[in-house]
Amino acid sequence: MSEHSNIDPQSPLDAILDVLIPANPSRNIPAAGQLGVATFVTEAAAQKNALNTALIALLSRAGELADGITPDTVRQLETELPEAFNLLLVETYKGYYSRPDIRALVGVGAHPVHPAGYEVASESPELLNELTAPVRARGPVFRDPPGGQA
Amino acid sequence: MNNDPVDVLIIGAGASGAAIAWSLLETRMRILCLEQGDHLPDKDFPSRHEDYEIARYGAFSCDPNVRRLQQDYPINSDDSCITPVNWNGVGGSTINFLGHWPRMRPSDFRTKSLDGVGEDWPLDYHTLAPFYDMNDHNTGVSGLGGNPAYPDYKPPHPPIPIGKLGQTLARGFNEKGWHWWPSDVAILSEDDDGRQKCVNAGTCDLGCAAGAKGGTNFTYWPMLENAGVELRTRARVREILVDESTGFATGVLFHGADGRVHEQKAELVIVACNGVGTPRLLLNSKSRLFPDGLANRSGKVGKNLMFHPLTGVAGVFEEPMKGHEGPMACSILSQEFYESDPTRGFVRGYGLHSGRSTTPMTYALGGYGIDSPIPWGAEHREIMDNVYPYLAGLTVVTEDLPEEHNCVTLDPDLTDSDGIPAPKITYKLGDNTRAMLRHGEDRAKEVLLAAGAKRILTKGDDKVWWRAGWHQMGTCRLGNNPETSVVNSWGRCHDVKNLFIVDGSIFVTAGAVNPTSTIQALALYIGDQIKTNIATLFD
Repeated sequence: MSEHSNIDPQSPLDAILDVLIPANPSRNIPAAGQLGVATFVTEAAAQKNALNTALIALLSRAGELADGITPDTVRQLETELPEAFNLLLVETYKGYYSRPDIRALVGVGAHPVHPAGYEVASESPELLNELTAPVRARGPVFRDPPGGQA
Repeated sequence: MNNDPVDVLIIGAGASGAAIAWSLLETRMRILCLEQGDHLPDKDFPSRHEDYEIARYGAFSCDPNVRRLQQDYPINSDDSCITPVNWNGVGGSTINFLGHWPRMRPSDFRTKSLDGVGEDWPLDYHTLAPFYDMNDHNTGVSGLGGNPAYPDYKPPHPPIPIGKLGQTLARGFNEKGWHWWPSDVAILSEDDDGRQKCVNAGTCDLGCAAGAKGGTNFTYWPMLENAGVELRTRARVREILVDESTGFATGVLFHGADGRVHEQKAELVIVACNGVGTPRLLLNSKSRLFPDGLANRSGKVGKNLMFHPLTGVAGVFEEPMKGHEGPMACSILSQEFYESDPTRGFVRGYGLHSGRSTTPMTYALGGYGIDSPIPWGAEHREIMDNVYPYLAGLTVVTEDLPEEHNCVTLDPDLTDSDGIPAPKITYKLGDNTRAMLRHGEDRAKEVLLAAGAKRILTKGDDKVWWRAGWHQMGTCRLGNNPETSVVNSWGRCHDVKNLFIVDGSIFVTAGAVNPTSTIQALALYIGDQIKTNIATLFD
């Protein structure tokens, strides 16, 4: 059995993830732990040795901290184990924002962007004409040296 | 596999390899293109999938050292502040480029005469203009005619929307009285020739599954293969062979899809591997005649590497900018500070490019091409809820001057999966570039505030973007003097008269614009010169 399989995908990892990306209750945006990003992180750790080692070190150290998981103790983890912490942070962001439901909550389409894309209206010729009028009014803004083959 | 001799052998199926194949099609010569990568099937475009963003950090990274696919070669960038990025496959880096399509300007071809730096090109803007037009038509370029920053020309398709973000910034530029213009883009604003117009997906770097972006996988290659050009994929060229009695190239050795090394003979060899791949191949092609690498009697192969160093500034506005809607890089472009002005403390200049904002994951991880995650905790929540949606940014894209110490060499230890020595990049920013970046950052802040930004976000350091090595130029440059250049004024190697180079490596100077339209215009020009000089081509 590989070492990563000993990582419990529930707390305290959930608790750390909730600190890394907290919820916004007023907009019904869940925190990373609540959303289940721990599963994404542990699955990634099963594929990436460096992340797996980092996760074990972070969780081991977190277990030693008397105050439990708080923003202050997570900051302590970042200070004591900066490289491992950064690996976890990157994977947390990936796991959280690869979720279509989260993208929708931050204003981006939940759908695969092809083929639907987004509807963006073209500017009318009148608007483009109005916007570019001051630029055109200045005239050419380039140098055109004598040409031909050098 | 049929390795019968061909008339024309092109190495690389990217921007320039496709363009020159198209130009030579009418000669009815037998043309073969060897490409180390493969076709990208529709199902493999990340934007077809719900978790598309994550591909940016794995199999669809722009960085071959991250991607590490079978067709990629590693690049040692330990001695560089910018790492080259690319795509290896049919379409080359037009698969994951952003489609920004500005032309170089007339002064870019005369920097020595006008400003006393770099070298003059052996051809000029007006010589290339008809080939720019031809290529714009083949590629499907959208834009607005009448840009006062250029001699008159008109893109074949109307502009794509500049969007709320572009309109907001345009008003800021107008407030300052500075030049700006809707960007020319290799992205369709209307359906054309079986290709679908842009659906504003905003994921141009992940390949355009719609075919709206003018990658050569959608523009030139379908037409070329239908017309009988043979495109052989998963064929990695190991070295170019020469006849030691004549000094002519005879063909290549390549690693085929079957895992074996093959010899392919050809009358004419054209290298189209861009500013890192091309010098790598020539330096790996050593022989008794060319002990320092093929076509390298000048010693200039690999020298004068130029990128376009970048930095970015963003403004936080009061209303959402919807920056994720629309092509990533292409909204408006200011060339107010493009030409030299002695009062600025540097020569030549830069462009201010308005990108749109990236998708949430990419923003959270530091931005496109940057590995520096934004803060975690309560600050993270605040940024993603109250900053990210309101952002509009400007990228400062500077002209890089040719300097011999910036170069591509061969790494003594690192190899690709076939054991071919990998390239090593040695590159540092010049003082002129640093001064430009500082100036550009200050001007970008001014215009963002004039456009209504309530707050300005900068990186707070003088580092340039690490993964900004899209534009790889200068390492086999054009010139009339065989002592100071690798190829002549129409791309033929001074030292090997049936060997041509058609990619970004032949640029003499870099300008401060994305180079692909110029790379392809040059390839079409060289093709035209080959046809014009066909009777005396090897004299």
